[in-house]
Amino acid sequence: MAARGCRRLLWCGRRWFSQAESAALPRPPESLYPPIVASATAKSKAAKRRRHEYFLQRVHAAPSVEEKLRFYLQRQRPKYMVYPQTFALNADRWYRSFTKTVFVPGLPRRAAAAPQPAAGAAPEAAGAPGPGAAAPADAKPPSGAAPFLDVAGLRSLVCDVLLQETFYQSKGRPFLYRDHDHTFGPFLTQLVPALTAFLCGHNPLLASSALDLKPEVNYYWHHGEEVVVHGHRKGRVDPVRFQIDDKPHLQIRVPKQLPEIVPLESDLGEVPVIDHKPSKLPLFKKQYENRVFIGSKVADPCCYGHTQFHLFPDKLKRQRFIKANLEDQIEVVYRANGIASLFAWTAAQAMYQGFWSEADVTRPFVSQAVVTDGKYFAFFCYQLNTLALTVETVRNNPRKNICWGTESKPLYDVVEDGSVKGLNDEVLFHLVSFLLNRPKEL
Amino acid sequence: FFMLAVRPGVPQPEDTVQFRVSMQMTKVDIKNYLEKIYNVPVAAVRTRIQYGANNKRNHKNQRVKKPDYKVAYVQLGQGQTFQFPNLFPEKEQDTETQSFDDFKNKYMEREQQKQKGDPRRGGVPDWFGL
Repeated sequence: MAARGCRRLLWCGRRWFSQAESAALPRPPESLYPPIVASATAKSKAAKRRRHEYFLQRVHAAPSVEEKLRFYLQRQRPKYMVYPQTFALNADRWYRSFTKTVFVPGLPRRAAAAPQPAAGAAPEAAGAPGPGAAAPADAKPPSGAAPFLDVAGLRSLVCDVLLQETFYQSKGRPFLYRDHDHTFGPFLTQLVPALTAFLCGHNPLLASSALDLKPEVNYYWHHGEEVVVHGHRKGRVDPVRFQIDDKPHLQIRVPKQLPEIVPLESDLGEVPVIDHKPSKLPLFKKQYENRVFIGSKVADPCCYGHTQFHLFPDKLKRQRFIKANLEDQIEVVYRANGIASLFAWTAAQAMYQGFWSEADVTRPFVSQAVVTDGKYFAFFCYQLNTLALTVETVRNNPRKNICWGTESKPLYDVVEDGSVKGLNDEVLFHLVSFLLNRPKEL
Repeated sequence: FFMLAVRPGVPQPEDTVQFRVSMQMTKVDIKNYLEKIYNVPVAAVRTRIQYGANNKRNHKNQRVKKPDYKVAYVQLGQGQTFQFPNLFPEKEQDTETQSFDDFKNKYMEREQQKQKGDPRRGGVPDWFGL
Protein backbone atom coordinates (compact mmCIF):
# COMPACT_ATOMS: atom_id res chain seq x y z
CA MET A 1 0.00 0.00 0.00
CA ALA A 2 1.14 3.53 -0.66
CA ALA A 3 0.67 4.50 2.98
CA ARG A 4 2.96 1.70 4.12
CA GLY A 5 5.57 2.63 1.54
CA CYS A 6 5.90 6.23 2.65
CA ARG A 7 5.97 5.23 6.34
CA ARG A 8 8.97 3.04 5.65
CA LEU A 9 10.92 6.03 4.28
CA LEU A 10 10.35 8.00 7.48
CA TRP A 11 11.94 5.26 9.60
CA CYS A 12 15.40 5.51 8.02
CA GLY A 13 16.88 6.54 11.39
CA ARG A 14 15.89 3.29 13.09
CA ARG A 15 17.50 0.75 10.83
CA TRP A 16 16.77 -2.37 12.81
CA PHE A 17 13.15 -1.47 13.20
CA SER A 18 12.61 -1.17 9.46
CA GLN A 19 13.62 -4.80 9.20
CA ALA A 20 11.42 -5.63 12.17
CA GLU A 21 8.50 -3.95 10.48
CA SER A 22 8.47 -6.56 7.77
CA ALA A 23 9.13 -9.44 10.15
CA ALA A 24 7.17 -8.74 13.29
CA LEU A 25 4.35 -6.32 12.50
CA PRO A 26 1.06 -8.13 12.13
CA ARG A 27 -0.34 -8.81 8.72
CA PRO A 28 -3.29 -6.74 7.49
CA PRO A 29 -6.10 -7.96 9.70
CA GLU A 30 -9.01 -9.84 8.27
CA SER A 31 -11.64 -7.90 10.22
CA LEU A 32 -12.68 -4.36 9.41
CA TYR A 33 -11.87 -3.18 12.94
CA PRO A 34 -8.19 -3.83 13.79
CA PRO A 35 -7.12 -3.47 17.45
CA ILE A 36 -6.34 0.09 18.48
CA VAL A 37 -2.75 0.18 19.72
CA ALA A 38 -0.29 2.99 20.25
CA SER A 39 1.68 4.19 17.29
CA ALA A 40 5.01 2.52 16.74
CA THR A 41 6.86 5.55 15.37
CA ALA A 42 5.64 8.49 17.45
CA LYS A 43 8.02 10.26 19.82
CA SER A 44 6.14 9.00 22.86
CA LYS A 45 6.69 6.62 25.74
CA ALA A 46 3.95 4.28 24.48
CA ALA A 47 5.65 4.08 21.10
CA LYS A 48 8.99 3.35 22.76
CA ARG A 49 7.38 0.62 24.82
CA ARG A 50 5.79 -0.90 21.72
CA ARG A 51 9.13 -0.91 19.85
CA HIS A 52 10.79 -2.54 22.85
CA GLU A 53 8.08 -5.23 22.90
CA TYR A 54 8.58 -5.89 19.20
CA PHE A 55 12.28 -6.31 19.84
CA LEU A 56 11.58 -8.82 22.63
CA GLN A 57 9.11 -10.70 20.45
CA ARG A 58 11.67 -10.84 17.67
CA VAL A 59 14.35 -12.30 19.91
CA HIS A 60 11.92 -14.81 21.46
CA ALA A 61 10.68 -15.91 18.06
CA ALA A 62 14.12 -16.27 16.50
CA PRO A 63 14.44 -19.71 14.90
CA SER A 64 17.99 -20.51 16.03
CA VAL A 65 20.46 -19.52 18.72
CA GLU A 66 22.68 -17.71 16.19
CA GLU A 67 19.73 -15.54 15.10
CA LYS A 68 18.86 -14.82 18.72
CA LEU A 69 22.40 -13.77 19.48
CA ARG A 70 22.49 -11.66 16.33
CA PHE A 71 19.39 -9.68 17.40
CA TYR A 72 20.55 -9.40 21.00
CA LEU A 73 24.01 -8.12 20.07
CA GLN A 74 23.01 -5.97 17.14
CA ARG A 75 22.92 -2.45 18.60
CA GLN A 76 26.34 -1.09 19.48
CA ARG A 77 26.57 1.62 22.10
CA PRO A 78 29.38 2.69 24.45
CA LYS A 79 29.83 0.07 27.13
CA TYR A 80 32.09 -0.55 30.09
CA MET A 81 34.96 -2.95 29.41
CA VAL A 82 35.29 -5.24 32.41
CA TYR A 83 38.72 -6.82 32.69
CA PRO A 84 38.88 -9.94 34.85
CA GLN A 85 42.61 -9.44 35.52
CA THR A 86 42.73 -5.98 36.97
CA PHE A 87 44.80 -4.07 39.50
CA ALA A 88 41.86 -1.85 40.52
CA LEU A 89 41.31 -1.72 44.27
CA ASN A 90 38.43 -3.80 45.70
CA ALA A 91 37.53 -4.89 42.21
CA ASP A 92 35.90 -8.11 43.40
CA ARG A 93 33.25 -6.19 45.32
CA TRP A 94 32.37 -4.13 42.27
CA TYR A 95 32.32 -7.19 40.01
CA ARG A 96 30.01 -8.99 42.43
CA SER A 97 27.57 -6.09 42.27
CA PHE A 98 27.72 -6.01 38.43
CA THR A 99 27.02 -9.73 38.12
CA LYS A 100 24.73 -10.23 41.16
CA THR A 101 27.09 -12.82 42.63
CA VAL A 102 27.43 -14.02 46.19
CA PHE A 103 30.94 -15.02 47.21
CA VAL A 104 31.25 -17.95 49.61
CA PRO A 105 34.78 -18.59 50.90
CA GLY A 106 35.92 -22.20 50.69
CA LEU A 107 34.91 -24.80 48.15
CA PRO A 108 31.50 -26.50 48.31
CA ARG A 109 31.43 -29.91 50.00
CA ARG A 110 30.26 -31.57 46.82
CA ALA A 111 33.21 -30.45 44.69
CA ALA A 112 35.72 -31.20 47.44
CA ALA A 113 34.25 -34.70 47.97
CA ALA A 114 35.16 -36.00 44.53
CA PRO A 115 36.53 -39.58 44.25
CA GLN A 116 39.47 -39.28 46.54
CA PRO A 117 42.51 -41.55 46.73
CA ALA A 118 41.00 -44.77 48.01
CA ALA A 119 42.19 -46.38 51.23
CA GLY A 120 44.18 -48.74 49.00
CA ALA A 121 46.47 -45.86 48.29
CA ALA A 122 47.37 -45.73 51.99
CA PRO A 123 50.98 -46.86 51.49
CA GLU A 124 51.64 -43.90 49.21
CA ALA A 125 49.45 -41.57 51.26
CA ALA A 126 51.22 -42.51 54.47
CA GLY A 127 54.54 -41.67 52.86
CA ALA A 128 53.18 -38.29 51.81
CA PRO A 129 53.75 -35.25 54.06
CA GLY A 130 50.49 -36.21 55.53
CA PRO A 131 47.86 -33.76 56.76
CA GLY A 132 46.87 -32.52 53.32
CA ALA A 133 45.94 -35.94 52.03
CA ALA A 134 44.81 -37.49 55.30
CA ALA A 135 42.32 -34.87 56.42
CA PRO A 136 40.25 -34.83 53.21
CA ALA A 137 40.40 -38.63 53.12
CA ASP A 138 38.83 -38.73 56.57
CA ALA A 139 36.14 -36.20 55.84
CA LYS A 140 34.80 -37.58 52.56
CA PRO A 141 33.11 -40.97 52.20
CA PRO A 142 34.58 -43.02 49.35
CA SER A 143 32.18 -42.85 46.42
CA GLY A 144 31.06 -46.41 45.75
CA ALA A 145 33.66 -48.43 43.83
CA ALA A 146 36.22 -45.61 43.69
CA PRO A 147 39.05 -46.67 41.40
CA PHE A 148 42.53 -46.74 42.78
CA LEU A 149 44.14 -43.32 42.26
CA ASP A 150 47.90 -43.33 41.91
CA VAL A 151 48.84 -40.39 44.11
CA ALA A 152 52.56 -40.97 43.86
CA GLY A 153 52.29 -41.11 40.07
CA LEU A 154 50.43 -37.81 40.08
CA ARG A 155 52.99 -36.20 42.31
CA SER A 156 55.87 -37.38 40.19
CA LEU A 157 54.07 -36.18 37.07
CA VAL A 158 53.62 -32.69 38.49
CA CYS A 159 57.23 -32.53 39.68
CA ASP A 160 58.41 -33.74 36.29
CA VAL A 161 56.52 -31.07 34.40
CA LEU A 162 57.67 -28.37 36.80
CA LEU A 163 61.31 -29.40 36.63
CA GLN A 164 61.15 -29.65 32.84
CA GLU A 165 60.18 -26.01 32.59
CA THR A 166 62.36 -24.64 35.37
CA PHE A 167 65.43 -26.88 35.56
CA TYR A 168 65.96 -29.38 32.77
CA GLN A 169 65.27 -27.06 29.88
CA SER A 170 67.87 -24.35 29.61
CA LYS A 171 66.07 -21.25 28.53
CA GLY A 172 67.61 -17.84 28.19
CA ARG A 173 66.72 -14.96 30.43
CA PRO A 174 63.10 -13.89 30.11
CA PHE A 175 62.38 -10.67 28.31
CA LEU A 176 61.47 -7.73 30.54
CA TYR A 177 58.18 -8.32 32.40
CA ARG A 178 57.60 -11.60 30.54
CA ASP A 179 58.31 -14.04 33.38
CA HIS A 180 54.87 -15.56 33.12
CA ASP A 181 55.23 -16.37 29.42
CA HIS A 182 58.72 -17.69 29.94
CA THR A 183 58.22 -20.23 32.70
CA PHE A 184 54.75 -20.49 34.14
CA GLY A 185 52.83 -20.35 30.89
CA PRO A 186 54.54 -23.41 29.41
CA PHE A 187 54.35 -25.15 32.80
CA LEU A 188 50.57 -24.78 32.87
CA THR A 189 50.24 -25.70 29.20
CA GLN A 190 52.16 -28.93 29.78
CA LEU A 191 50.66 -29.74 33.16
CA VAL A 192 46.99 -29.65 32.24
CA PRO A 193 47.05 -32.01 29.24
CA ALA A 194 49.34 -34.35 31.19
CA LEU A 195 46.96 -34.45 34.17
CA THR A 196 43.94 -34.77 31.88
CA ALA A 197 45.49 -37.73 30.09
CA PHE A 198 46.45 -39.32 33.41
CA LEU A 199 42.93 -38.96 34.81
CA CYS A 200 41.05 -39.99 31.66
CA GLY A 201 40.57 -43.47 33.01
CA HIS A 202 38.95 -42.16 36.17
CA ASN A 203 36.77 -39.56 34.50
CA PRO A 204 35.30 -40.62 31.13
CA LEU A 205 34.07 -37.07 30.61
CA LEU A 206 37.65 -35.91 30.11
CA ALA A 207 38.05 -38.38 27.30
CA SER A 208 35.40 -36.57 25.26
CA SER A 209 36.47 -33.08 26.34
CA ALA A 210 38.03 -30.36 24.20
CA LEU A 211 41.08 -28.46 25.38
CA ASP A 212 41.51 -24.89 24.14
CA LEU A 213 44.79 -22.99 24.28
CA LYS A 214 44.41 -19.25 24.87
CA PRO A 215 40.76 -19.15 23.79
CA GLU A 216 38.61 -16.04 23.86
CA VAL A 217 35.61 -15.82 26.10
CA ASN A 218 33.26 -12.86 25.66
CA TYR A 219 29.97 -11.85 27.19
CA TYR A 220 27.78 -8.74 26.87
CA TRP A 221 25.05 -7.76 29.33
CA HIS A 222 23.02 -4.90 30.75
CA HIS A 223 22.73 -4.19 34.46
CA GLY A 224 21.30 -1.12 36.12
CA GLU A 225 20.49 2.29 34.74
CA GLU A 226 22.23 5.61 34.48
CA VAL A 227 21.42 9.10 33.28
CA VAL A 228 23.42 10.24 30.24
CA VAL A 229 25.68 13.10 31.33
CA HIS A 230 26.99 14.76 28.17
CA GLY A 231 26.03 14.84 24.55
CA HIS A 232 22.89 15.14 22.48
CA ARG A 233 21.18 12.48 24.60
CA LYS A 234 21.82 14.31 27.87
CA GLY A 235 19.26 13.67 30.56
CA ARG A 236 17.91 10.42 29.14
CA VAL A 237 17.98 7.16 31.10
CA ASP A 238 20.08 4.42 29.55
CA PRO A 239 20.87 0.88 30.67
CA VAL A 240 24.45 0.35 31.81
CA ARG A 241 26.16 -1.97 29.32
CA PHE A 242 29.12 -4.21 30.16
CA GLN A 243 31.36 -6.45 28.10
CA ILE A 244 33.89 -8.96 29.35
CA ASP A 245 36.63 -9.98 26.90
CA ASP A 246 38.68 -12.62 28.61
CA LYS A 247 41.57 -14.75 27.39
CA PRO A 248 42.11 -17.62 29.80
CA HIS A 249 45.33 -19.51 29.42
CA LEU A 250 43.63 -22.89 29.01
CA GLN A 251 40.10 -24.14 28.97
CA ILE A 252 38.42 -27.55 29.05
CA ARG A 253 35.00 -27.81 27.41
CA VAL A 254 32.84 -30.90 27.74
CA PRO A 255 29.72 -32.20 25.97
CA LYS A 256 27.78 -32.82 29.19
CA GLN A 257 26.97 -30.24 31.83
CA LEU A 258 28.44 -30.41 35.33
CA PRO A 259 25.84 -31.13 38.03
CA GLU A 260 24.40 -28.33 40.14
CA ILE A 261 25.99 -27.69 43.51
CA VAL A 262 23.04 -26.12 45.32
CA PRO A 263 19.41 -25.77 44.18
CA LEU A 264 18.50 -23.01 41.80
CA GLU A 265 16.75 -20.74 44.31
CA SER A 266 19.26 -20.94 47.15
CA ASP A 267 20.34 -17.82 48.98
CA LEU A 268 23.81 -18.09 50.48
CA GLY A 269 24.64 -14.48 51.22
CA GLU A 270 24.29 -10.86 50.23
CA VAL A 271 25.19 -9.17 46.98
CA PRO A 272 27.02 -5.86 47.59
CA VAL A 273 25.09 -2.84 46.32
CA ILE A 274 27.28 0.03 45.14
CA ASP A 275 25.58 3.34 44.45
CA HIS A 276 28.41 4.91 42.51
CA LYS A 277 28.90 4.81 38.78
CA PRO A 278 31.15 2.01 37.52
CA SER A 279 33.58 4.61 36.15
CA LYS A 280 34.73 5.26 39.74
CA LEU A 281 36.29 1.81 39.94
CA PRO A 282 37.94 2.93 37.44
CA LEU A 283 36.19 1.33 34.49
CA PHE A 284 36.20 2.82 31.00
CA LYS A 285 33.69 2.92 28.18
CA LYS A 286 34.24 2.06 24.57
CA GLN A 287 31.98 1.16 21.68
CA TYR A 288 32.93 -1.91 19.68
CA GLU A 289 31.49 -5.22 18.60
CA ASN A 290 29.17 -6.88 21.12
CA ARG A 291 30.22 -10.48 21.39
CA VAL A 292 29.12 -13.62 23.24
CA PHE A 293 31.54 -16.51 22.85
CA ILE A 294 32.53 -19.49 24.99
CA GLY A 295 35.61 -20.57 23.05
CA SER A 296 33.86 -22.41 20.26
CA LYS A 297 30.91 -21.65 18.01
CA VAL A 298 27.34 -22.66 18.74
CA ALA A 299 27.39 -25.84 16.67
CA ASP A 300 30.28 -27.38 18.60
CA PRO A 301 29.18 -30.45 20.62
CA CYS A 302 31.40 -29.52 23.57
CA CYS A 303 29.26 -26.55 24.53
CA TYR A 304 29.43 -26.78 28.31
CA GLY A 305 32.33 -25.61 30.38
CA HIS A 306 34.37 -27.70 32.77
CA THR A 307 37.51 -25.90 33.94
CA GLN A 308 39.40 -22.75 33.02
CA PHE A 309 43.00 -22.03 33.90
CA HIS A 310 44.05 -18.41 34.25
CA LEU A 311 47.61 -17.15 34.48
CA PHE A 312 48.44 -13.72 35.85
CA PRO A 313 50.74 -11.43 33.89
CA ASP A 314 53.81 -9.94 35.51
CA LYS A 315 51.89 -6.77 36.29
CA LEU A 316 49.89 -8.60 38.95
CA LYS A 317 52.54 -10.62 40.69
CA ARG A 318 52.75 -10.74 44.46
CA GLN A 319 56.01 -8.82 44.91
CA ARG A 320 54.58 -5.75 43.25
CA PHE A 321 51.65 -5.63 45.66
CA ILE A 322 53.87 -6.26 48.68
CA LYS A 323 56.25 -3.50 47.60
CA ALA A 324 53.34 -1.06 47.26
CA ASN A 325 51.94 -2.00 50.70
CA LEU A 326 48.81 -3.53 49.20
CA GLU A 327 48.91 -7.04 50.69
CA ASP A 328 45.15 -7.13 51.16
CA GLN A 329 44.61 -6.59 47.44
CA ILE A 330 46.42 -9.81 46.46
CA GLU A 331 43.43 -12.01 47.25
CA VAL A 332 41.10 -9.43 45.72
CA VAL A 333 42.86 -9.89 42.38
CA TYR A 334 42.33 -13.65 42.44
CA ARG A 335 38.68 -13.31 43.43
CA ALA A 336 37.94 -10.65 40.82
CA ASN A 337 39.47 -12.81 38.11
CA GLY A 338 37.55 -15.89 39.23
CA ILE A 339 34.19 -14.14 39.48
CA ALA A 340 34.40 -12.15 36.26
CA SER A 341 35.80 -14.92 34.06
CA LEU A 342 33.47 -17.59 35.34
CA PHE A 343 30.41 -15.35 35.11
CA ALA A 344 31.26 -14.55 31.49
CA TRP A 345 31.85 -18.21 30.64
CA THR A 346 28.75 -19.63 32.33
CA ALA A 347 26.53 -16.84 31.04
CA ALA A 348 27.84 -17.33 27.51
CA GLN A 349 27.18 -21.08 27.83
CA ALA A 350 23.63 -20.29 28.93
CA MET A 351 23.16 -17.96 25.93
CA TYR A 352 24.39 -20.73 23.65
CA GLN A 353 21.52 -22.85 25.00
CA GLY A 354 19.01 -20.13 24.14
CA PHE A 355 18.56 -18.48 27.55
CA TRP A 356 18.90 -14.73 27.93
CA SER A 357 17.86 -11.99 30.33
CA GLU A 358 14.17 -12.18 29.33
CA ALA A 359 14.19 -15.99 29.20
CA ASP A 360 15.97 -16.89 32.40
CA VAL A 361 17.86 -20.16 32.90
CA THR A 362 15.78 -23.14 34.02
CA ARG A 363 18.75 -25.13 35.27
CA PRO A 364 21.93 -23.84 36.91
CA PHE A 365 25.14 -23.72 34.87
CA VAL A 366 28.28 -24.74 36.75
CA SER A 367 31.91 -24.19 35.84
CA GLN A 368 35.25 -24.22 37.60
CA ALA A 369 38.40 -22.18 37.34
CA VAL A 370 41.94 -22.33 38.61
CA VAL A 371 43.63 -18.95 38.89
CA THR A 372 47.37 -18.94 39.32
CA ASP A 373 50.40 -16.78 39.05
CA GLY A 374 52.65 -19.78 38.50
CA LYS A 375 53.32 -20.76 42.10
CA TYR A 376 50.17 -19.79 44.00
CA PHE A 377 46.91 -21.48 43.03
CA ALA A 378 43.38 -20.39 43.88
CA PHE A 379 40.34 -22.49 43.02
CA PHE A 380 36.89 -21.19 42.11
CA CYS A 381 33.51 -22.79 41.45
CA TYR A 382 30.68 -20.80 39.93
CA GLN A 383 26.99 -21.56 39.71
CA LEU A 384 24.96 -19.37 37.40
CA ASN A 385 21.37 -19.21 38.65
CA THR A 386 20.13 -16.16 36.84
CA LEU A 387 20.84 -14.17 33.70
CA ALA A 388 18.13 -11.60 34.38
CA LEU A 389 20.17 -8.55 35.36
CA THR A 390 18.45 -5.78 33.37
CA VAL A 391 16.37 -3.21 35.21
CA GLU A 392 12.97 -4.72 34.35
CA THR A 393 13.94 -8.32 34.99
CA VAL A 394 16.01 -7.88 38.15
CA ARG A 395 13.14 -6.24 40.02
CA ASN A 396 11.27 -9.45 40.89
CA ASN A 397 14.19 -11.82 40.63
CA PRO A 398 15.23 -13.31 43.98
CA ARG A 399 17.88 -15.58 42.47
CA LYS A 400 21.57 -14.85 42.86
CA ASN A 401 24.65 -16.33 41.24
CA ILE A 402 27.06 -18.02 43.61
CA CYS A 403 30.85 -18.24 43.52
CA TRP A 404 32.86 -20.43 45.86
CA GLY A 405 36.58 -19.72 46.09
CA THR A 406 39.68 -20.49 48.10
CA GLU A 407 42.60 -18.34 49.04
CA SER A 408 45.76 -18.65 47.02
CA LYS A 409 48.07 -21.39 48.24
CA PRO A 410 51.52 -22.29 46.90
CA LEU A 411 51.88 -25.53 44.98
CA TYR A 412 55.52 -25.89 45.94
CA ASP A 413 57.96 -24.01 48.09
CA VAL A 414 61.06 -23.83 45.96
CA VAL A 415 62.73 -25.65 43.10
CA GLU A 416 66.43 -26.26 43.59
CA ASP A 417 69.04 -28.74 42.49
CA GLY A 418 66.73 -30.71 40.30
CA SER A 419 64.07 -31.39 42.92
CA VAL A 420 60.86 -29.75 44.01
CA LYS A 421 60.78 -28.95 47.71
CA GLY A 422 57.57 -28.75 49.67
CA LEU A 423 55.00 -29.94 47.14
CA ASN A 424 51.63 -29.04 48.63
CA ASP A 425 49.30 -32.03 48.57
CA GLU A 426 46.23 -29.97 49.33
CA VAL A 427 46.61 -27.90 46.19
CA LEU A 428 47.25 -31.05 44.18
CA PHE A 429 44.18 -32.67 45.69
CA HIS A 430 42.00 -29.68 44.77
CA LEU A 431 43.38 -29.69 41.23
CA VAL A 432 42.72 -33.38 40.80
CA SER A 433 39.24 -33.22 42.28
CA PHE A 434 38.41 -30.33 39.92
CA LEU A 435 39.48 -32.38 36.93
CA LEU A 436 37.60 -35.43 38.19
CA ASN A 437 34.34 -33.50 38.57
CA ARG A 438 31.64 -35.04 36.38
CA PRO A 439 27.86 -35.46 36.09
CA LYS A 440 26.36 -38.17 38.31
CA GLU A 441 25.32 -40.39 35.39
CA LEU A 442 28.90 -41.07 34.31
CA PHE B 1 53.92 21.90 45.09
CA PHE B 2 50.65 22.24 46.88
CA MET B 3 47.63 20.03 47.53
CA LEU B 4 44.16 21.27 48.29
CA ALA B 5 41.47 18.84 49.46
CA VAL B 6 38.17 19.71 47.80
CA ARG B 7 34.61 18.51 48.09
CA PRO B 8 33.90 16.26 45.07
CA GLY B 9 31.28 17.62 42.70
CA VAL B 10 30.20 14.08 41.80
CA PRO B 11 29.83 11.57 44.68
CA GLN B 12 33.00 9.49 45.04
CA PRO B 13 33.45 6.09 46.72
CA GLU B 14 34.26 6.18 50.44
CA ASP B 15 37.96 5.52 50.08
CA THR B 16 38.52 8.23 47.46
CA VAL B 17 39.66 11.75 48.33
CA GLN B 18 39.69 14.50 45.71
CA PHE B 19 42.48 17.08 45.62
CA ARG B 20 43.45 20.04 43.46
CA VAL B 21 47.20 19.86 43.04
CA SER B 22 49.93 21.84 41.35
CA MET B 23 50.11 21.25 37.62
CA GLN B 24 53.71 20.04 37.83
CA MET B 25 52.98 17.25 40.32
CA THR B 26 52.89 13.66 39.08
CA LYS B 27 51.08 10.67 40.58
CA VAL B 28 54.28 9.49 42.25
CA ASP B 29 54.84 12.99 43.67
CA ILE B 30 51.34 13.05 45.11
CA LYS B 31 51.77 9.61 46.69
CA ASN B 32 55.09 10.56 48.26
CA TYR B 33 53.74 13.92 49.43
CA LEU B 34 50.87 12.33 51.32
CA GLU B 35 52.82 9.41 52.68
CA LYS B 36 55.89 11.26 53.87
CA ILE B 37 54.49 14.57 55.05
CA TYR B 38 51.05 13.56 56.32
CA ASN B 39 51.59 9.84 56.99
CA VAL B 40 48.51 8.88 54.98
CA PRO B 41 48.61 5.40 53.36
CA VAL B 42 47.92 5.80 49.65
CA ALA B 43 46.81 2.83 47.56
CA ALA B 44 46.28 4.45 44.16
CA VAL B 45 46.34 7.90 42.56
CA ARG B 46 44.66 9.01 39.35
CA THR B 47 45.04 12.50 37.93
CA ARG B 48 43.48 14.62 35.25
CA ILE B 49 43.90 18.20 34.09
CA GLN B 50 40.80 20.35 34.08
CA TYR B 51 40.82 22.93 31.32
CA GLY B 52 39.58 26.35 32.49
CA ALA B 53 37.15 27.91 30.02
CA ASN B 54 38.05 30.92 27.94
CA ASN B 55 34.56 32.09 27.05
CA LYS B 56 33.83 34.93 29.45
CA ARG B 57 34.49 38.46 28.27
CA ASN B 58 35.48 41.48 30.34
CA HIS B 59 34.32 45.09 29.87
CA LYS B 60 36.81 45.52 27.02
CA ASN B 61 35.41 42.43 25.23
CA GLN B 62 38.67 40.55 25.79
CA ARG B 63 38.37 36.89 26.59
CA VAL B 64 39.09 36.08 30.24
CA LYS B 65 40.49 32.66 30.89
CA LYS B 66 39.75 30.71 34.05
CA PRO B 67 42.98 29.00 35.12
CA ASP B 68 43.63 25.31 34.38
CA TYR B 69 44.18 23.03 37.34
CA LYS B 70 45.07 19.42 38.00
CA VAL B 71 42.68 17.18 39.96
CA ALA B 72 43.92 14.09 41.77
CA TYR B 73 41.72 11.23 42.97
CA VAL B 74 43.55 9.44 45.77
CA GLN B 75 42.38 6.02 46.97
CA LEU B 76 43.40 5.44 50.57
CA GLY B 77 45.05 2.20 51.65
CA GLN B 78 44.40 -0.13 54.58
CA GLY B 79 40.64 0.19 54.29
CA GLN B 80 40.52 3.81 55.42
CA THR B 81 37.63 6.00 54.36
CA PHE B 82 37.15 9.74 54.11
CA GLN B 83 34.07 11.92 53.96
CA PHE B 84 34.50 15.59 53.15
CA PRO B 85 33.24 17.50 56.21
CA ASN B 86 30.35 19.91 56.13
CA LEU B 87 32.10 23.28 56.55
CA PHE B 88 28.93 25.33 57.04
CA PRO B 89 26.71 23.45 59.45
CA GLU B 90 23.34 24.84 60.50
CA LYS B 91 23.96 26.78 63.71
CA GLU B 92 21.48 26.43 66.53
CA GLN B 93 19.81 29.77 67.08
CA ASP B 94 19.42 30.89 70.67
CA THR B 95 15.94 31.91 71.83
CA GLU B 96 16.51 35.63 71.47
CA THR B 97 17.53 35.59 67.82
CA GLN B 98 14.86 32.99 67.11
CA SER B 99 12.09 35.13 68.60
CA PHE B 100 13.47 38.17 66.77
CA ASP B 101 13.46 36.21 63.48
CA ASP B 102 9.87 35.10 64.08
CA PHE B 103 8.82 38.67 64.84
CA LYS B 104 10.56 39.88 61.69
CA ASN B 105 8.86 37.25 59.53
CA LYS B 106 5.44 38.08 60.96
CA TYR B 107 5.98 41.79 60.31
CA MET B 108 7.04 41.13 56.70
CA GLU B 109 3.96 38.97 56.16
CA ARG B 110 1.69 41.69 57.47
CA GLU B 111 3.33 44.28 55.22
CA GLN B 112 2.86 42.02 52.18
CA GLN B 113 -0.77 41.49 53.08
CA LYS B 114 -1.25 45.26 53.18
CA GLN B 115 0.38 45.67 49.77
CA LYS B 116 -2.07 43.23 48.24
CA GLY B 117 -5.35 44.72 47.20
CA ASP B 118 -8.87 43.80 48.16
CA PRO B 119 -9.09 39.99 48.23
CA ARG B 120 -12.60 40.20 46.84
CA ARG B 121 -11.15 41.52 43.55
CA GLY B 122 -9.30 38.16 43.06
CA GLY B 123 -5.81 39.59 42.31
CA VAL B 124 -7.03 42.12 39.69
CA PRO B 125 -5.17 45.50 40.15
CA ASP B 126 -6.94 48.60 41.46
CA TRP B 127 -6.59 50.68 38.32
CA PHE B 128 -8.54 48.12 36.26
CA GLY B 129 -12.15 49.01 35.98
CA LEU B 130 -14.54 51.55 34.74
